[in-house]
Amino acid sequence: MIQHSMFHEKGPVFWWTGLAGVMAAGTIVILFASLVIESVPVFKAEGISFLWGVDWFAGENYGALPMIFGSLAVTGLAVVMVLPFALASAILTSEFLSGRARLMVKAAMELLAGVPGIIYGLMGISLLTIWVRDVFGLIDGNTLFTAGLLLAVMILPTIMTLSEDALSSVPGELRDTALSLGLTRMETVTKVVVPQALPGLAGAVFLGIGRAMGETIAVMLVIGGIDRLPQPWFNLFAPGQSIPSKIGREAAEALGFDVQWSALIALGLVLFVMVMTLTFAGNVLLRKAR
Amino acid sequence: MFWERLYLGMISMSRQNSGKIILGMLLVLFGTGAWVLPGLSGWVQVFAQGSTVIRIAGSTTVLPIVSRAAERFQSRHPSIKITVNAGGSGVGIHGAGTGRFDIGLASREITPNENQRYASLHTTVIGRDAVACVVSSEIFHAGVRTLSKRQIGYIYLGKITNWKQVGGPDRPIVVIDKETHRGTRHVFMHYLFGNSKARAPGARLVTGSNNEEQAKIAQSDSAIGMLSIAWMNEDVAGIGIHEGGQVIQPTLDNVRNGRFPIARNLNLITAGQPAGAVKLFIDYLLSEEGQRLVAESGYIPIHSPHAVSRVAGSHSK
Amino acid sequence: MNRRLLKERLSMFALYGLTAGGGLILAVILITVFTKGAPALSVSFLFEASRNFGLEGGIFYQTLGTLILMAGAALVCLPVALGSVLFQTEFLHSPQLKKIFRLLIYSLNAVPTIIFGLIGYLFFGVFLEAGVSWVTGVLILAVMILPTLHVSIHEAVETIPKHYREAGLALGLSPGQQMRAVILPQSLHGIVTGTLLGLARAAGETAAIMFTATAFSGVDLPQSWTDPVTTLQTHILVLAQEAANPEALTNAWGAGLVLLAIVFILITATLWIRSGLEMEAER
Repeated sequence: MIQHSMFHEKGPVFWWTGLAGVMAAGTIVILFASLVIESVPVFKAEGISFLWGVDWFAGENYGALPMIFGSLAVTGLAVVMVLPFALASAILTSEFLSGRARLMVKAAMELLAGVPGIIYGLMGISLLTIWVRDVFGLIDGNTLFTAGLLLAVMILPTIMTLSEDALSSVPGELRDTALSLGLTRMETVTKVVVPQALPGLAGAVFLGIGRAMGETIAVMLVIGGIDRLPQPWFNLFAPGQSIPSKIGREAAEALGFDVQWSALIALGLVLFVMVMTLTFAGNVLLRKAR
Repeated sequence: MFWERLYLGMISMSRQNSGKIILGMLLVLFGTGAWVLPGLSGWVQVFAQGSTVIRIAGSTTVLPIVSRAAERFQSRHPSIKITVNAGGSGVGIHGAGTGRFDIGLASREITPNENQRYASLHTTVIGRDAVACVVSSEIFHAGVRTLSKRQIGYIYLGKITNWKQVGGPDRPIVVIDKETHRGTRHVFMHYLFGNSKARAPGARLVTGSNNEEQAKIAQSDSAIGMLSIAWMNEDVAGIGIHEGGQVIQPTLDNVRNGRFPIARNLNLITAGQPAGAVKLFIDYLLSEEGQRLVAESGYIPIHSPHAVSRVAGSHSK
Repeated sequence: MNRRLLKERLSMFALYGLTAGGGLILAVILITVFTKGAPALSVSFLFEASRNFGLEGGIFYQTLGTLILMAGAALVCLPVALGSVLFQTEFLHSPQLKKIFRLLIYSLNAVPTIIFGLIGYLFFGVFLEAGVSWVTGVLILAVMILPTLHVSIHEAVETIPKHYREAGLALGLSPGQQMRAVILPQSLHGIVTGTLLGLARAAGETAAIMFTATAFSGVDLPQSWTDPVTTLQTHILVLAQEAANPEALTNAWGAGLVLLAIVFILITATLWIRSGLEMEAER
């Protein structure tokens, strides 16, 4: 019996890979542990009400609700706005385009998904905020809605291409059968392909939401930066604050010290938990789909 | 994204095509080589030499003076390198206190709280500035040239929400606040409410640096904000403050003669007495040439009474 | 039947309409960056230092800073990623352990980048005493791109045909020789594509480095381990906040175009290598 592993003896290769393996796998554990440990002081100072406090004033009060609400609002908005476009283009690409055209579209999407957030931020601050203000007749264009719109554009390529993968992984025989039963091409898509691909589509959307929720720079520049719940709460044309944007604005000041730092880390922990939940849900769905 | 798809088994890669890979690598190398090669040679030399570094960070109000001064100073002292970073007065004072930076920039005084935490902080004043209440030029031209302290206070509290309530056009006010650790906000809020940490429930936006605030006010046609006088320009107009029956305009002259009520020192914060290269640089800032840079940046020098007197705002950043 | 046909037509129309809308938006974005950025570009813009707070001069040191950070991150990350892949494929035998390992790496990929900045500063900046410096930035970005490299290499190592390894073993190769002769050359494409994508990701990142690795002015090349750098990303961030100043905006768009070009070159190279591979696989 040949030993397939090259690690039957503990040479330098063993130690190198072992160390690297532990480092790679340990990073996330350390990350999570640091988030928990470093956020203890703020929970000591504020209690669990840190999570639903509405007032944040460095040095005095730390309440995370406006930021949590802002994060949920902008990502929710982004998803609602991006879904029709992403799904339509995914269906078109997967079901109606030729193989070569499909590859071209997918390649273009890979490229677009790589556009750095700061470029979207620049676009947002110099064009989109003004555009939103003028089109919707607002007194100012730095709003939750603007941030959501910008995020929607940012995650369009990601959601589109993941959805397309989910659709094309539906077996071709199903389509042939449906067509031979007299369904039109569109009916085949809506009644056969999409229902089959549903878990995969949902997974794609979840991953996209997770990506959007963690975006810092683009949101930071257009969201308004005010740590306050909109009045009334569903008025998304009001300014607000998201978790990453808050961290981005205050981190340089708090760096490493004090309750303020702990409060920022605790915000990071909240964000981490939200993003991880979304990612795992998306991941489970996508794997189930296959 | 590619990563996720690969991970999920949506796409797969098979055996390589080494010709293409090498070509691809070459492409990337040539693309970046143009920068890397000239840079690298210089880098290796410099790394070998070594140098003294002064790390400076903090208030964006003080930053232009220090950046300009650093440029001149370094050309005379090539072995001393000065890096300057923005962030705000809070960042400057904390950074100096914790040793993260050698000099912290602050456009406000150190609070008792901060003094308590970092025992040995030392302040050097390099100039004087004022915080003006500024409005979008459209509002200024529509007739809002002065406001009283009470009116500004009510605007920030959200009790006055429309420009027509203070003699302007019928348009809602976009009230611009600053991040709470910013020196400009400390000074401004202290003037308005006697409390540098006062809340501003009437605010619509929160900005960070002077640049950011200036841009937001310029982009809007109905904004009000607080800004160092060096940042006023044709889009961002400083208004006079109505106080005790007279109007005081935000001009350097009025700051110099002590009439303008929201004046402040521009401070360099060090942990303990400045020494070595840090002292050399601070001395340069206090020298005649350094003080000329203070004036050129739109502020009031402390040591040279003969400094050019001119109207604030004529200086363009 | 007629209604069915109408419905079919309408939904096809909607499909094309929405797709065209989405495509148009993305096209507008690219065109905006190109048309706004192109006027700023010139030889002097690319190769001169910036002056007057970025309003004049070029972006030479910013570009270098971006390149230093991304190249440094890839260099630091590569041995760890390669090692962790080999650990996973050669050393972990139990499927459960492999699954957990995969999951841990996967979770790392989902972490919002700003959190890498926060915790990374704590570890590298405070504990390792690197402060706000290029070293801190490199290390933070290295951790951030680890999953990207890991999975590309993993995919490549995983698909090495079994008989290649067996042949190596039959020849009596030592583990080191086996690695040099079989595993590394056979997974080269994974290493290259992973590294390119990692570079692209690092180049586009702003949040993780803006308060941990960069400075606003007075920075050219780092002259010691604890010097900050300046990067295209943070340069654009600073200029973007001066959005009412046309000079600042022009230079911001110019820097944006250069940054986008760097990222696009890297991704295109990846796509190109991969397209060759896919075609070969089809044959």
